[in-house]
Amino acid sequence: MSKTGAVDRPSEDRPPRTTLIPPPRASAAANPAATLALDSQLDPFFIPDFCATRMVFAVVLIAELVALTLALARPNAPFLTELAGISMFLQWLGLTNAALLCYSRRWLARLTVPQSSAAAFTLILLNTVVISELALWLGTAFGTAGLTDRPAHWPFLLRNAGIALIVAALLLRYFFVTHQWHKHVRAEALSRIQALQARIRPHFLFNSMNTIAALTRSDPKRAEEAVEDLADVFRATLRDSHSPIRLKEELELTRIYQRIEALRLGSRLEVRWDVGSLPMRAFVPGLTVQPLLENAIYHGIEPLERGGTVTISGRVVDGEVELIVTNPVAEAGATGEPRVGNRLALDNIRQRLDLAYGGRGSMAVEQSPGRYQVTVRFPYSE
Amino acid sequence: MNAGPLRVLIVDDELPARERLQRLVEELPGCDVAGVCSNGADALSQFGKLKPSVVLLDIRMPGMTGIEVARHLGALENPPAIVFTTAYDEYALEAFESQAVGYLLKPVRSERLAQALKQASRLRVPQLLGLGTAAAPLAARQHVAVRVRDELKLIPVKDIRYFRADQKYVTVRHSRGEDLIDESLKQLEDEFARDFVRAHRSLLVAIAHVEVLERADGEDGYALRLRGEAEPLAVSRRQLAELRKRLATY
Repeated sequence: MSKTGAVDRPSEDRPPRTTLIPPPRASAAANPAATLALDSQLDPFFIPDFCATRMVFAVVLIAELVALTLALARPNAPFLTELAGISMFLQWLGLTNAALLCYSRRWLARLTVPQSSAAAFTLILLNTVVISELALWLGTAFGTAGLTDRPAHWPFLLRNAGIALIVAALLLRYFFVTHQWHKHVRAEALSRIQALQARIRPHFLFNSMNTIAALTRSDPKRAEEAVEDLADVFRATLRDSHSPIRLKEELELTRIYQRIEALRLGSRLEVRWDVGSLPMRAFVPGLTVQPLLENAIYHGIEPLERGGTVTISGRVVDGEVELIVTNPVAEAGATGEPRVGNRLALDNIRQRLDLAYGGRGSMAVEQSPGRYQVTVRFPYSE
Repeated sequence: MNAGPLRVLIVDDELPARERLQRLVEELPGCDVAGVCSNGADALSQFGKLKPSVVLLDIRMPGMTGIEVARHLGALENPPAIVFTTAYDEYALEAFESQAVGYLLKPVRSERLAQALKQASRLRVPQLLGLGTAAAPLAARQHVAVRVRDELKLIPVKDIRYFRADQKYVTVRHSRGEDLIDESLKQLEDEFARDFVRAHRSLLVAIAHVEVLERADGEDGYALRLRGEAEPLAVSRRQLAELRKRLATY
């Protein structure tokens, strides 16, 4: 019992990669944003949901493995007969225990970790005794019923209780550690997203401030609008990072960002939009499109004396949103100082897609002389 | 500083930034806006006509960066004082701090501007020449400036075929002729190491313009033929191996 409560550094107790039991997954919620890996809520209770098909299958598998082990450990008995008998018994035991945990889960979840562990423990133990008793009774009623020698009553019960005790302890501990580990991984991913998101280019901030300072006197109305726009962009970067937003809002934010940059760059910046066919109500992680435009401007348009046109086009391919941002680039050697950090910015976006979609989002970069193109793809739900 | 207003040239690629600086300078007593330019090349070509005593120079500009503009201005006989302006430039600022170069952060405060302009006469340019190596992002120049009396003529580096060192000057041979510059061949070699290679002690050749390396006529040496050049250029024995290697890997 003390074992289950003693874990406070889950990272050191990381379970092996090849887990026998699939990690507990929140049942596909009717959540509109279920595509976002991070958004699927982590179950706060450490004992997994034994009503789920995957868990039932795992229980059957484990029971069979234990049966195999026990049968192998008895060299004197005929193997297959032994295996059949033990399997029969253990499958009963396993499935009834799973059913018990399944139905008591809601009640157990309300207790503290030691309390719920103790309760689960007691349930499993009691059930084992009952099933053992039942097996003995069946054995008496219908002959040997598979067990080669009819075992003595009390030693049989005690032995079974002992085995149940050990297996239950190991499993509960395993569930607890796995759960801690998942919690840890999730927290880490969230904090990484936050760290990535908070990074707005200082270059953009200070240049915008300078533009506003200039407009304050020459064109107060525009200055006012610029302050409002800037506030919107900053609010977006400070937003709860893992709650997805509608694609429409993200595109709106990108347009606001474009407006601020246009004040500064004037006719040098032109943006061609072709996103009419996108599902505007789809949910996307925040700051998916805006950083792509920011990148295109910073690395593409700004170093060009005459500026150029950024194209943002989007469509749906195989049920995924595909966004393509293309910008002209100054030919190598014709630019001023080389702008470092392009890869960094793109890595940032790539990582955020990875974290948000658990590897199902992708980003590709295509480079040809004078042209730079970034393609982002991710699944969506409405 | 002598009598008469301080003449200030403003160079910035962004219109709002130019407008604001212009207004701030105009509001300061004893300061005049000599001119406003939207890029470095423009500033250099107008410099002789405008004759400013201070240049407010944006660092991050397309085409030619402020740093490069400053280096060309620094080569003048009577270089102006230079005050850089930047919204954000972590690398450059470090270098400026270490070399006591004047700079202003945008949005620029009026008091800071006044202070910088007052000190401007003390901020001389020569230190700037070291900047190219002091800060990583300040790469090789895109142009070489030739001084013609008080004017600056810019030669794009990609048009340059070779540099030849004479007794006192270096001759720049480019697609539109020849000019003399006041720089050392060694420094040029270091700065443009990526695209130029020594053919002999006093000759630095643009690899991109080399047509062929061949045996010199009637002699037992080698010579380089450059595109657009009638005369082959002699190659010294000592440089031959290095030259071959650079031509092969370019």
